[in-house]
Amino acid sequence: MICAQTEADVIDAVLAARAKSCTLEIVGAGTKRAYGRSMACDDVLDVSALSGIVKYEPAELILTVLPGTPVTEITTLLDSKSQRLGFEPADWGPLLGTPIGEATIGGVLSADVNGAAAIRYGRARDSLLGMRAVNGLGESYKAGGKVVKNVTGFDLPKLMCGAMGTLGVLTEVTLRVYPKPPQSASLIVRDVNVEDAFILLRRVWQSPLEATALAYIPASIPLTQLGYVGEGAALIRLEGAHEPLKEKMTALLAIARSAQQIEASNVFGAISSGAIFAGQDCDLWRASVPPSEGAEIVRQIGSSVFAADWAGGLLWIGLEAGGNGAELRKLCEAAGGQATLVKADEDTRQRIATFTPELPVRRALTKSVKAAFDPLGIFNPGRMWKAV
Amino acid sequence: MLLPAPNRDILARRDSIVARLRALVPDGVVADEAGLAAFDGDALTAYRQKALACVLPRTKDEVSAVLEFAAQEGIAIVPRGAGTSLSGGALPLADAILMGLGRMNRILDIDYENRCVVTEPGVTNLSITRAVEARGFYYAPDPSSQIACTVGGNVAENSGGIHCLKYGLTTHNLLGVEIVLPGGERVTLGGKAGDGGLDLLGIVAGSEGLLGVVVEATLRILPKPPVTRTLMAAFRSVPDAGQCVADIIGAGVIPAAMEFMDRNCIGAVEDYCSPGYPRDAEGVLIIEVDGVAAEAAHAAARVTEIAKAAGASAVMEAFDESERTRLWAGRKAAFPAMGRLAPDMLCMDGTIPRGALPRVLTRMAEMSKEYGLGFCNVFHAGDGNLHPLIIFDVMKSGELERAEAFGAAILKLCVEVGGVLTGEHGVGVEKRDLMGVMFTDADLAQQQRLKCAFDGAGLFNPGKVFPTLSACVELGHMHVKGGRVPFPNLPRF
Repeated sequence: MICAQTEADVIDAVLAARAKSCTLEIVGAGTKRAYGRSMACDDVLDVSALSGIVKYEPAELILTVLPGTPVTEITTLLDSKSQRLGFEPADWGPLLGTPIGEATIGGVLSADVNGAAAIRYGRARDSLLGMRAVNGLGESYKAGGKVVKNVTGFDLPKLMCGAMGTLGVLTEVTLRVYPKPPQSASLIVRDVNVEDAFILLRRVWQSPLEATALAYIPASIPLTQLGYVGEGAALIRLEGAHEPLKEKMTALLAIARSAQQIEASNVFGAISSGAIFAGQDCDLWRASVPPSEGAEIVRQIGSSVFAADWAGGLLWIGLEAGGNGAELRKLCEAAGGQATLVKADEDTRQRIATFTPELPVRRALTKSVKAAFDPLGIFNPGRMWKAV
Repeated sequence: MLLPAPNRDILARRDSIVARLRALVPDGVVADEAGLAAFDGDALTAYRQKALACVLPRTKDEVSAVLEFAAQEGIAIVPRGAGTSLSGGALPLADAILMGLGRMNRILDIDYENRCVVTEPGVTNLSITRAVEARGFYYAPDPSSQIACTVGGNVAENSGGIHCLKYGLTTHNLLGVEIVLPGGERVTLGGKAGDGGLDLLGIVAGSEGLLGVVVEATLRILPKPPVTRTLMAAFRSVPDAGQCVADIIGAGVIPAAMEFMDRNCIGAVEDYCSPGYPRDAEGVLIIEVDGVAAEAAHAAARVTEIAKAAGASAVMEAFDESERTRLWAGRKAAFPAMGRLAPDMLCMDGTIPRGALPRVLTRMAEMSKEYGLGFCNVFHAGDGNLHPLIIFDVMKSGELERAEAFGAAILKLCVEVGGVLTGEHGVGVEKRDLMGVMFTDADLAQQQRLKCAFDGAGLFNPGKVFPTLSACVELGHMHVKGGRVPFPNLPRF
């Protein structure tokens, strides 16, 4: 294991790996090592020591940090200035077998792990304005910028989000941050089935209430803090200063008469972190679909282990362990979406495609892009697909 | 400005190439001199070049067929939307086929349930909003050319507008594209739901026609905020105005728009259309807040309070739609108003950290004296995007060169204070040779390797974005000749 303290260390490690034709597994806190295809690398490049706040400018809404910085450190810092990350990073650690609160910002960006508020503020890729990174040639480079509005050159930071470390090692990231509204209200609509709930969530999403969470939990996934849920519960979060929030809650009642406020602010984190599925003995899939297609997919799959976020556009679905998810993938694809395997044992993650298999033209393009950043295939080889 | 030397072999084969294009796209090839003159550039009017031929496909298959043919023959392609680029992104090349996507102008699907619109690339930006506004929706990116510019061009340039701080640029409102690669193969990136692969959609947005030709786009539409309120705050000093901007954002208010004009600009627009800005002010902010009624009211009250505390000499709110229009009229008249003061004008487009505004404005005032040229500053203060307008007279000896040097110095200053060369106009040919100011050779090499992953033969929009080794430093500008701005019917702001 190589522990990099600086960008120069990362460069040295990559140059050494290049010289020896070695592959490197890039890890931060290692909370998502069990996500993606299982792989065998020659060495581990630990970048968790590349940690710390480089510059925080609240009035600019800009934060520059080293990628090994724990997300909890960032959220605490931002909270002190009543700000936050818009994409509300989720902590998949406990779901994938590591302690809570360890995930680093670099890992969250690389795995594109977003929470409920992404429906309002966009995903991680929409918040990553700029970066420094080291490519597979051992060269450091920067891309993007440290301002909100920038079209200078290709937007490489977006490409790094969700690339699972296959394109390079992040060494600095600049994020756009958002003001945290003074008040937040979580609301529940009880005893509502998937079809009706998703329609309701979409009505809110289509309204100007700017909801920052639109989720659904069925009765089969117990969450004690919700109390009675009947068939299932639609969950909505509205935010704002006192008066605006009051107006939004009144407007919501016109859409969902039975909506009631609850004290359960952590319920959305419990969904996006997958914590609600703790103890479920199944493989967990995450499907991204057009929101209007979500309910039908849930119905056809027929699994009692599921939950939804993003007004039905994001489905968490539990399927029998060791299965290949072919039916889910077929349904998602037909609806214009896709499904990714989030949690399964190592054997399954080796045997079946964890990330959506690509069609030939796209696959060739993905391979060329990988080669443009990592021509020798040093970084996380096979983490996303066999060749990437 | 050096563009790649034309390939003589291709020029010599022009007649047979045109004949072949006519077979691929019947009734869609422009090859006569007069016709090509209509397509000889974009809104960066300083540069003009007739294309080898211009092809105007109506379908994806025609686009694919032309690109397949072009790849076989080794002919470069310059994609073009409405030709409103301010950076020369659609500037033709003598040995390249200019591909205009304007005839692919149908909206294919309006999907309110999934809050998106699927469209062909030649549909204009404003048409998207027009198509969905009756149901209370709109498309957020609003570049000033929005009545003419097309969705395909918006994707290529990652177009912005005045509402970017709150609502983002094109890339934040783009769910998917279908692009045609060199050789004619088509690939879909994203869509109504994410595709789960590498975020290639994210790099196609803003790729300035270097990676592929957009033939379809899926756009996010937003519910229109029920209430919009517009305020004007005047300041006796620029640092006070800058502090006000910082304090508003620091207080957790994200205005839908926040526009700054300096004293020179205020004077020019007051002479031009009397929007009612105080002439003795050093700077004016136009601030727009939106949301549900209580939200807009809350934000308007906070903005008023903060502006007063920051030393505003006057704060007023538009009490009706006509006053709101009047307040905005001044801001939107900045270009024509400055255009009256001198025969020629350059418009720059850098972004700076908002906090650097006082320093940058002070330095620009000094530079104005050093270069002996007048200028004014309009500024998307919310997102830090500066649009300095430099006025000069090309007929006076040395003024064009001085204006260009002044412009380049401003963009270098933007980078020096931690900003970027272009916030929304794109690099194109205009700022191509300044890329080295912001990026190292290693930075640019990585970007060019990505370009090669899509377009190994370098056939898509060659000569744009990336500097050539031999080129001399040019500057970024929009050239306004004799008061005639390109597309004079379009507002510029």
